[in-house]
Amino acid sequence: MSERLSGGCQCGAVRYEITGPLEGPHICHCRMCQKAFGNFFAALVGTRREHFRFTRGTPGIFKSSSVVERGFCGQCGTPLTFAYVDSPRIAVSIGSLDHPEQVTPENQYGIESRHPAFSLLHSLPGSRTEDDVPPERLARFKSRQHPDHD
Amino acid sequence: MCQKAFGSIGAVLVSVPVDRLAWTRGAPATFHSSAPVARGFCAACGTPLFMLEDDYGVIEMAVCTLDDPAAAPPRHQVGVESKIPWTDGLPGLPGRTTDNDRTPEDLARLKSLQHPDHDTEHWP
Repeated sequence: MSERLSGGCQCGAVRYEITGPLEGPHICHCRMCQKAFGNFFAALVGTRREHFRFTRGTPGIFKSSSVVERGFCGQCGTPLTFAYVDSPRIAVSIGSLDHPEQVTPENQYGIESRHPAFSLLHSLPGSRTEDDVPPERLARFKSRQHPDHD
Repeated sequence: MCQKAFGSIGAVLVSVPVDRLAWTRGAPATFHSSAPVARGFCAACGTPLFMLEDDYGVIEMAVCTLDDPAAAPPRHQVGVESKIPWTDGLPGLPGRTTDNDRTPEDLARLKSLQHPDHDTEHWP
């Protein structure tokens, strides 16, 4: 895939675009990705740095190890990027893409740290938001999230 | 909204009464993703930490920020109208351990700067 993809954080202070080929969409279960994303795993897709740029704002950076920088929005916290400092590539969090459904992970890494509940998620009983939240309560939730486009 | 806030397929959350949670170091930053909902995160590294509705009485903590994330396995899934279609296929993807992907030299070079999964007197 080489068409332009856009994405960004929840509040919209940081936005980015990818204009070149995507590489290696995957999920990573390692404990560092779990903590960085506050989640079961990180879902990431890479591209070469020359095909990636921030179109609005700049992320905060936390160096989670001696060799890796993780980018996030300093205003709302959304985890955005992962990159080895000496690599020509950078990865973005698939969930921060405006259309995450377009990028399907192909591998899972760090499975030594896989959360015991992960493989059962698909079997959990599910409900829709409107089934759980009464209409009068839903009406209060006026989204302040940046829309899924530039 | 949980997808964007967590940069992922969703949020994994567990509720605790607000008065049973204490911040033992630092204080989170918050973003109000809608008028009644605050989302907490670490301003220094971005880790998403919680979701709090203003009159709900419970705070929903991100399970995998617990030092023992296995302590709170999720029991149901909500917001399935927005579920990303490839989500349920994830457990079937080919999997590799970190040792399989990194040479011993790579691993030796990688010095973690992440806080350990237990309290510390001083950090870093």
